[in-house]
Amino acid sequence: MPALFPRWTNTAVRTVLISLAVVLPGVPISVMAWQRTPGATGSGYSPDQPVPFNHLLHVTDFRIDCRYCHASAERSSVAGLPPSSACTACHNEVWSNSIALAPVRQSLATNRPVAWNRVNRLPDFVYFNHSIHVAKGVGCETCHGRVDRMSQVVRTAPLTMQWCVDCHANPGPKLRPVDEITVMGRAVGADQVALGDELVRRYKVRRLTNCTTCHR
Amino acid sequence: MTSFDDELSRRNFVKLLGASMALAGLDGCSRMPGEKILPYVHQPRELTPGIATHYATAMMLDGFATGLVVESHEGRPTKIEGNPDHPASLGAAGIFEQASLLQLYDSNRASAVRSAHAPTGWEAFSEAFSPRALRNHVGGHGAGLALLLEATSSSVIADMIATLKGLYPEAGIHYYSPLARTEASIPQYDIRAANVILAIESDFLAAGPMQLRMSREFSDRRREPSADMNRLYAIESAVTVTGSSADHRFRCRPSMIQPVLAELYSLLGDASVPAQRAAERSYGGITSSALRVIAADLSRHKGQCLVIAGERQPPSVHALVAAINEQLGNTGRTVWRIRSPLLGAGDGSFSIEALAGRLRDGAVDTLICIGGNPSYNTPGPLQFDGAFRKVRNTAYVGLYENETGQNAKWLVPAAHYLETWGDGRAYDGTLSVVQPLVQPLNGGKSAVEILAAVCGVEKSPLALLRESLGRTGLVGETAWTDAVRRGFVVGAAAPRIQGPTIVVPTAAAPEKTDHIDVTFAADSRTHDGSFANNGWLQELPDPVTKLTWDNAAHLSPATAARLLVGSGDTVLVRTPASSIRLPVLIVAGHADDSVTVHFGYGRRGAERLAAGVGTDVFPMWPATGAFVSSASVDRAVDAGQHTFAITQSHWKMDGREQAKSETLRSYNARQATFKPDDHPPPSLFKGEPPPAAVKQWAMTIDLGLCTGCSACVVACQSENNIPVVGKEDVEKSREMQWLRIDRYQDGTEENPEFIAQPMLCQQCERAPCEYVCPVGATDHSPDGLNEMVYNRCVGTRFCSNNCPYKVRRFNWFDYNAEISETEKMAKNPDVTVRERGVMEKCTFCVQRIREKEISAEVAGTPFLGSSVVTACQQACPTRAITFGSLTEPESEVMRQREGPRAYNVLDELGTRPRVRYLSRIRNANPALDTEQ
Amino acid sequence: MRTLPSDAVLTERLLAPLWNVPRFWWLLFGLSSMGTLLLIGAVSYTVARGIGVWGNNIPVAWAFAITNFVWWIGIGHAGTFISAFLLLLNQRWRGSINRIAEAMTIFALVNAAMFPVLHLGRPWFFYWLVPYPSTMNVWPNFKSALPWDVAAVTAYFTVSLLFWYLGLVPDFASARDAAPTRLRRIAYGVFAMGWRGSGYQWSRYRIAYMLLAGLATPLVISVHSIVSLDFSITKLPGWHSTIFPPYFVIGAIYSGLAMVIILLIPLRRAFSLADLITEMHFDRLAKLMLVMGLMLLYSYVMESFMSWYSGDQYERYVYLFSRPRGPYAVAYWIMTIFNVGAPQVFWLRRFRTSTVVLFLVSVAVLIGMWLERFIIIVTSLNRDFLTSSWHVFVPTWVDLSILAGSLALFSTLFLLFVRFVPAMAISEMKVLRHELSVSPTVGQAADA
Repeated sequence: MPALFPRWTNTAVRTVLISLAVVLPGVPISVMAWQRTPGATGSGYSPDQPVPFNHLLHVTDFRIDCRYCHASAERSSVAGLPPSSACTACHNEVWSNSIALAPVRQSLATNRPVAWNRVNRLPDFVYFNHSIHVAKGVGCETCHGRVDRMSQVVRTAPLTMQWCVDCHANPGPKLRPVDEITVMGRAVGADQVALGDELVRRYKVRRLTNCTTCHR
Repeated sequence: MTSFDDELSRRNFVKLLGASMALAGLDGCSRMPGEKILPYVHQPRELTPGIATHYATAMMLDGFATGLVVESHEGRPTKIEGNPDHPASLGAAGIFEQASLLQLYDSNRASAVRSAHAPTGWEAFSEAFSPRALRNHVGGHGAGLALLLEATSSSVIADMIATLKGLYPEAGIHYYSPLARTEASIPQYDIRAANVILAIESDFLAAGPMQLRMSREFSDRRREPSADMNRLYAIESAVTVTGSSADHRFRCRPSMIQPVLAELYSLLGDASVPAQRAAERSYGGITSSALRVIAADLSRHKGQCLVIAGERQPPSVHALVAAINEQLGNTGRTVWRIRSPLLGAGDGSFSIEALAGRLRDGAVDTLICIGGNPSYNTPGPLQFDGAFRKVRNTAYVGLYENETGQNAKWLVPAAHYLETWGDGRAYDGTLSVVQPLVQPLNGGKSAVEILAAVCGVEKSPLALLRESLGRTGLVGETAWTDAVRRGFVVGAAAPRIQGPTIVVPTAAAPEKTDHIDVTFAADSRTHDGSFANNGWLQELPDPVTKLTWDNAAHLSPATAARLLVGSGDTVLVRTPASSIRLPVLIVAGHADDSVTVHFGYGRRGAERLAAGVGTDVFPMWPATGAFVSSASVDRAVDAGQHTFAITQSHWKMDGREQAKSETLRSYNARQATFKPDDHPPPSLFKGEPPPAAVKQWAMTIDLGLCTGCSACVVACQSENNIPVVGKEDVEKSREMQWLRIDRYQDGTEENPEFIAQPMLCQQCERAPCEYVCPVGATDHSPDGLNEMVYNRCVGTRFCSNNCPYKVRRFNWFDYNAEISETEKMAKNPDVTVRERGVMEKCTFCVQRIREKEISAEVAGTPFLGSSVVTACQQACPTRAITFGSLTEPESEVMRQREGPRAYNVLDELGTRPRVRYLSRIRNANPALDTEQ
Repeated sequence: MRTLPSDAVLTERLLAPLWNVPRFWWLLFGLSSMGTLLLIGAVSYTVARGIGVWGNNIPVAWAFAITNFVWWIGIGHAGTFISAFLLLLNQRWRGSINRIAEAMTIFALVNAAMFPVLHLGRPWFFYWLVPYPSTMNVWPNFKSALPWDVAAVTAYFTVSLLFWYLGLVPDFASARDAAPTRLRRIAYGVFAMGWRGSGYQWSRYRIAYMLLAGLATPLVISVHSIVSLDFSITKLPGWHSTIFPPYFVIGAIYSGLAMVIILLIPLRRAFSLADLITEMHFDRLAKLMLVMGLMLLYSYVMESFMSWYSGDQYERYVYLFSRPRGPYAVAYWIMTIFNVGAPQVFWLRRFRTSTVVLFLVSVAVLIGMWLERFIIIVTSLNRDFLTSSWHVFVPTWVDLSILAGSLALFSTLFLLFVRFVPAMAISEMKVLRHELSVSPTVGQAADA
């Protein structure tokens, strides 16, 4: 009787076997790799806002301190977003009737809040507290990036647990004197290591990596 | 405590709701953004997002106020706590006060003004009931107008009533709350001053308007076992919290109470109790000989002892008790009277019987019923429901469209006390201010607003309140602000008055009767039914029976045996009024030949949770409103087996020393030779020693002080977002409360020795749960906490299997997905809302620890262990729970841990719990002590 | 047995079931697949609603699911025991039953593997038990027994599958050559992987087979030992016991042998294999059962004795009161009678060779072994240390459906196996036959 399988089937079988050897470990590995890409973590996320608020302008040109708008960063767990009334403090004088500010004016008129799009989002089971980080010398820039260069706010941190823990396990390198908290583009000198250790001592910074530091 | 009284600065709740949603984030938990943030339009100055604010207010129950402090996150009340300065609270909060938070957010609340069955609106109502409109129907003098209010002590309501009386001189003003105390003068007690206390059918430690204060005063004399310790005798038919906390508890048939007191009275006749034995009598439990011992003990402490009769005892009993206290020279020292602050107290306007009569005679054209639920909670024979429906024009103002609301022509949603201004008096007469925290969620109206509308007064409740308080002498802005900030007016307790002249009833000889005494009791969880729609309370195990989601006919083992019934069987209880079928629950320690039934179940209103839970016993309540009546009880053969949802199935300790108790005498003997052992038990696996730099959290619980009242359980449920699982799951032993109160009754079925033991995560240093978790979802923190990480948990439940204390709770279903949108607002934003399939347990209120820790470090102030107060500790009326750090040698918790009474539960397992218990000390009277 | 049919006849007979399907097969297959649908239904319901649809509670947080898991894993063991163990011990008579035993192992494992995932509160996160570098940089807790469970079961499944398949290759080849249609020839041909039966292939084959046998053998010991650690590492009286690993392994092989017998007897009847699966096979299986039964008896006695001897009140309570006299006493006594009492009949040859008795005893043992796991898990949990937390467990219809369904799934798979795969190791039979024809004493040699 004729051969059940033609010659090419040998090659076919070999190819299948080899590709299996590649694919089986390949799939999980690539998934783990993808997990670490911005696509998965959401860093670089930059939604359009109802009001095209320009940080570059307000921070770099007008030298407005972060805490003017994000007033509770030093006292509360949340940094806080400015109430509509805060905008009009200046914008009654300048650009008082620009189209860009229409939502703010409307908010004040209708007494309904401006609905901003959240950029930096932590899961609900993570309890992040701004005030303690500020008090221990973690600058705004460290997590929020060069906001002074952003005309539209971009999320710069991956905000993965690993990212948090890396700093919690070894805070020194990320610390700065509390009076430089809001400084943007602070140069990290060669003395940072020494300075870090010094600040860890001065601010009694602990290496907090136990669960209830963030999860409650 | 901050406060604000400017109506305009109050933010619209819906906006706050939006903000808090974004800030607290109660929704799902996706990693990717796509969520809105809603900042304020104008930020209220007293409010910082992310920082909770606290406001003083007060809650009324049966007309008396309890001062509270309410925590609010971004404008939504999330936790109700006691007001440390308020005389009726002293910092503690009872289960009703705390659970009233859930009532605020109850999605079943009445939400719109309706007439007939068509929704109208507030304007329509105020129009229809305005003087102009109403006069045509009720006559110029308002002869056809009747008003029915809940028992109240509010001065602003009093003023409105006065105004109304001016408008309608002949209008009938009635007050009714089935459990309210209606005498013209009410007794006040100084428990602290009493060395010996005799409680007659009185649950003063767990029920009544002053329970929190009395519990504290009682416990203050028991903190240290010493000669100074007070002694409590209890004589009661049903088993109460007070009875099971007593040093000596005696059973007694309800109908025998008066004879017992009569004999006690005669025994006390001459100071030296007669040596020759009088005729030995037994009163269905307590005997003459026991009475003699008690009498002797009492008369040894003349002027420093106290006899308390239950609030709902007949006048004759109260008269006897007053006489006995007189005899013992207690009057004016441990007990005195004040004029009752309740409106209409003692002047007959509390007689619901009279009102029912008027309604039936057609004398009433318009009945305005503010609060309460007379169609449900009035004695069956009165047929109030029918009479109510006869009235041409009826209006009901209430939180729910309950039995009364459903029959009323008009329904007006009432404002919750957290939604409106008001005032009231504490049991001791202290003027307390009710301050709102939110705008009415669904346009509810307060009693004051209703009355204002009826009187045609156009003033805001706040304005009216300030006027009335002005009349009571609270004048000036500072006085007002101070009162609002404190929540009450300092030193405003009512003056002592001369009690009514005591007429000692002639001692009736205890007649032998074949009938069974039936006692109508307030339910420990639904009270008179007004809390029946509250999940936290329905699922709160009864302090005595551990029964949830139900009521039952309580019988003693002997009586049940005589009637050939067991728990779960159905009996037919026949009173002169009517007869009702009830499932039997056998309660060890209950008096023989008597049955105890509880109000507050079998609701037929629009409250979805309460519907169909338990059986309504109001129909067989005598028209006189007497709480004890005679009945016949027979087994209902045709009925099937009723399944109770009881959280505990085994009541004996079987010789396992779980909850330790000893008599003062044996303690003294032991303490003489006591030396603390400082070396920890051996352990195979070497966990590295805890770092000294950080706190080491620990807790002690004094079983000698714990009465089992369960306030801590509700506090924990509220603080930690613990879901309600429902009757079916409780039957399956799936209740979720992190803190449960175990109850053991060793000894005889007739007279067991009761002991309550709060059981929560013991935060073991060598935690068995930790090493078995495959994903490390439960782990140990440097500061000695056994951490539970919900978001890491996959739900193998291995940890629960290996927990010797079985204090871990599992989310068998997605319980939190089933709750209403408004109910979500009651959640504490500082605690994760757990999803289905994860384990959870007591965390020592880690959110409170971290919050204090962080704020101390931010402020650069030293962080003291004593600054952290756990929810259970805070609510405890007797201060039985102590919390602190082992790194502070002088701290109270350390002192107690090292004391002779301290012990670890299941110490032999080497788990090294961070929770230690102090053994209970019974100040037993040697003359009665069974141990000798 | 001494007069075996010729190779050709043998091959034809053993392949027959593949070509012509008896009616009863369709009947059984219909029934079992209905049961499998029940399983699918119950499982989807559980995943959709949550574990709450089972009877589990606190304190009894583990019940049916884990019982089934341990039971099925145990059954699997006999397969490897017979094929690998006996192969290394050069027990020739295994040749006629090892294929079935191995198939049973695979299908039992398929069932077993389902339960640990299913019983999770959040099954969609089961992979957190596997060590891999996550962006949370947290790892499984290797102090716990469960990650090791995962490893053990996965390894066991892989090895068993390979072992089974390798043994099948020559028979697939003969199936390929005998298949009536071209389609089937191709199908079997693919699985035969171009087996030609050359001496070269045979030598390679033998080496590979022996190597896998060597790999599988320690697994027979290790897997159930690790499973037993799920219990013995805890503090729970009734679980906290050092005897567990051997005790579990014995129980495992015991239940497995019972399952093998239950499968063999009808198969032998259905395909008239009396001359290949002979009384001698049953006799020896029965003897093995008896030995295992006695070892189990020893374990039972030891457990209870140690609990008494320890003087620990909680241990004593569980073993001396809760189990024999508590709420599950009936289950406990059935377990004891079935596991220890029933096999004693095998002291008599008459019963060792009576298929009826064998079948009944085996069923009894399977029930007994399931109850044993149930007793161990539930009676230890439902009354542990604090008397206040005691509570009984009552299974729901979902619990029962899943148990029934898993049995159905097992039989479905097994029916498909006898339908599409040579149920007996044809090649080995031929070898055996040749050896026997050369020296009729090989059989006895193997006995010794």
